[in-house]
Amino acid sequence: MGKLSKRVTTLEELTRELKAAIESGFNHLMAITCVDLGGELELIYSLSSLDGRPLHLSLKVPQGSAKVSSIAALMPAASFYEREVHDLFGVHFEGNEGMGSRFLLPQCYPEEAPPPLLKSVDSAQVRELLSTLRCASPLPIHLEAPLSPESVVVPFGPYHPALKEPEHISLVVEGERIRKAFIKIGYVHRGIEKAAEARSFLRDIYLFERVCGICSTHHAWTFVEAVESLLGLQPPPRAVFLRAIVAELERIHSHALWLGLVGYWMGFESMFMWVWGLRELVMDILEEATGNRVHKSFVTIGGVRRDIPDEKLRGYVEKLSQLRSSIASLMEDILSSEQFASRTKGVGRYTLEQARRFSAVGPVRRAAGDPYDIRKIEPYGAYDRVDFHVPVASEGDVYNLVKIRLEELLSSVDIIAQLVEKIPSGNPVPPRHFMGTVPEGEAYARTEAPRGELFYYVKADNKHNPYRVKIRTPTLANIQLAASLLEGALVSDLPLIVTSIDPCFSCMDRVTVLKDGEFFVLKLEDLVKLARGGRSECVH
Amino acid sequence: MIPRLGYRRRSIWLYHFNSGGCNGCDIEFVAALTPRYDPERLGVQLVPSPRHADVLVVTGPVTSVVKDALEEIYDQIPEPKLVIAFGTCACSGGIFSECYNTIGGADHVIPVDVKIPGCPARPSSLLRVLAEVYGVKVRGKA
Repeated sequence: MGKLSKRVTTLEELTRELKAAIESGFNHLMAITCVDLGGELELIYSLSSLDGRPLHLSLKVPQGSAKVSSIAALMPAASFYEREVHDLFGVHFEGNEGMGSRFLLPQCYPEEAPPPLLKSVDSAQVRELLSTLRCASPLPIHLEAPLSPESVVVPFGPYHPALKEPEHISLVVEGERIRKAFIKIGYVHRGIEKAAEARSFLRDIYLFERVCGICSTHHAWTFVEAVESLLGLQPPPRAVFLRAIVAELERIHSHALWLGLVGYWMGFESMFMWVWGLRELVMDILEEATGNRVHKSFVTIGGVRRDIPDEKLRGYVEKLSQLRSSIASLMEDILSSEQFASRTKGVGRYTLEQARRFSAVGPVRRAAGDPYDIRKIEPYGAYDRVDFHVPVASEGDVYNLVKIRLEELLSSVDIIAQLVEKIPSGNPVPPRHFMGTVPEGEAYARTEAPRGELFYYVKADNKHNPYRVKIRTPTLANIQLAASLLEGALVSDLPLIVTSIDPCFSCMDRVTVLKDGEFFVLKLEDLVKLARGGRSECVH
Repeated sequence: MIPRLGYRRRSIWLYHFNSGGCNGCDIEFVAALTPRYDPERLGVQLVPSPRHADVLVVTGPVTSVVKDALEEIYDQIPEPKLVIAFGTCACSGGIFSECYNTIGGADHVIPVDVKIPGCPARPSSLLRVLAEVYGVKVRGKA
């Protein structure tokens, strides 16, 4: 966290430098950020080691015909990040299979049309172009057997009872088993990063909160953390504690929400009702403390928006201890239930090696065995002042993911209790809203959102509005892993596997294509052609 | 005045359509169906297919990609039907009005009967509207 110190590299050196970085322990890819410097583009590869040290490699390429060699072979996680940059900035990554198709933008967005995030392109211009295109309707899918007489293509979504958010999946199935899945997301892409460049820093906080309605405080906090390091501003100690308290409350509500949904997709509807009933207690606390249940607008530049009196905080701890005992008994009931175990054990199984390859984050990474928690490895806020344990398991599957999240729920309650006990006095609210300019510079910040590592990059240039903000949400890192898990799974497990990583498509709005399965020698293009009735341009 | 659903108002079945929201309204909508509020006592139920629904609840600003899907789903709901725009974004595009991939509120695409503003709208506000559709008394009013 803090200002960015970059190591400059060149096109030729990039792969070699990356290899060297991976060898020296920087094997987690946080993000690939692209910045339009006017005439040329800067690509920043942000890497992290497992103990939290960052490394940023900077590469400048000319705008327009920019061609960079893909690093997806070195780091599979890069595949999606590169496609995002390709869509929004028009950089071509040689060797990335997804270059022929759209990722975030609608598929019909022409290749020669201006990439929306370039400085020379206006939002209104992109909008007008999009309004003339008719590409939104779900693609017609022929129910023919594309691979063998046994296999059929089953369209799934974008609006399907088993999906809470829009997403389209074409499943190639043989009987009950999924042989291949083509996931087309992109239904919730709004264009927030572009809109942020036109708004002041203060107004951006409210916009970034609305990237996601579940981890909204974490989005605001991560952005504010980056802006504060550019300003050289130290928030009052009480504010730092209050931020962490609200963030932990958010984790409790988010994990409870997820737990309910997992129950729902498993066919265990009473668990859903049960957990969501408990969750209302946290929502009440959040509403009382911050004024809103969901978009709390609690974190602001230089502190928090309002103080929470000590006696109220102590009251919350008391209420949460009741919640803790309910959760603990729920945990005992669920994890010891035979039906639950047989429905979740071994479903969506993955190894630590797989999780590392896709740079998985958050509980998904921890279930596989890495204690990768930003609160521990690169402490921010008041997390270095509390004592807590990071739960890990030895192998990823739905059962372990439930177990880890339940343990995290309990640990969040304990963290809040410690924070309330240690909270210093003082005024956490800045005297006035931040209305000024931010000095030139670049900073990054990352926090442990409920779904995992959330990354923000902010570049300022002495103006009231940011020059560029880049967001890398946890789901973008995790969905690549989830996508690979679908292969070979049962159709009935699909909702459970997709839900198990706690996806948030409003945060991440992307396209996935699964790689060739071991059963086929067909080229991907052939398969797509068959699956789409010749419309191979629809998926890559 | 909320249009009546005729005799079907006694068992209002809802279909939820996320047209590009941030998940805030979506979760609050689902929260409205959980034990705290328990609208099932009024016969209210979330249904998986638009063909079974009486009320379409739209959340989020309409993105350019879901526009056609929204029209299609609206057409699949049998008459008489009611459309509720849940949350500020579904009402007018809200904070995302300026974003390049959104086209504004749900009323740009389909006729909207009830707009419930709020970021996100509160679960209880949905219940209030449903109670009115149902015809139960709210604070002494018919």
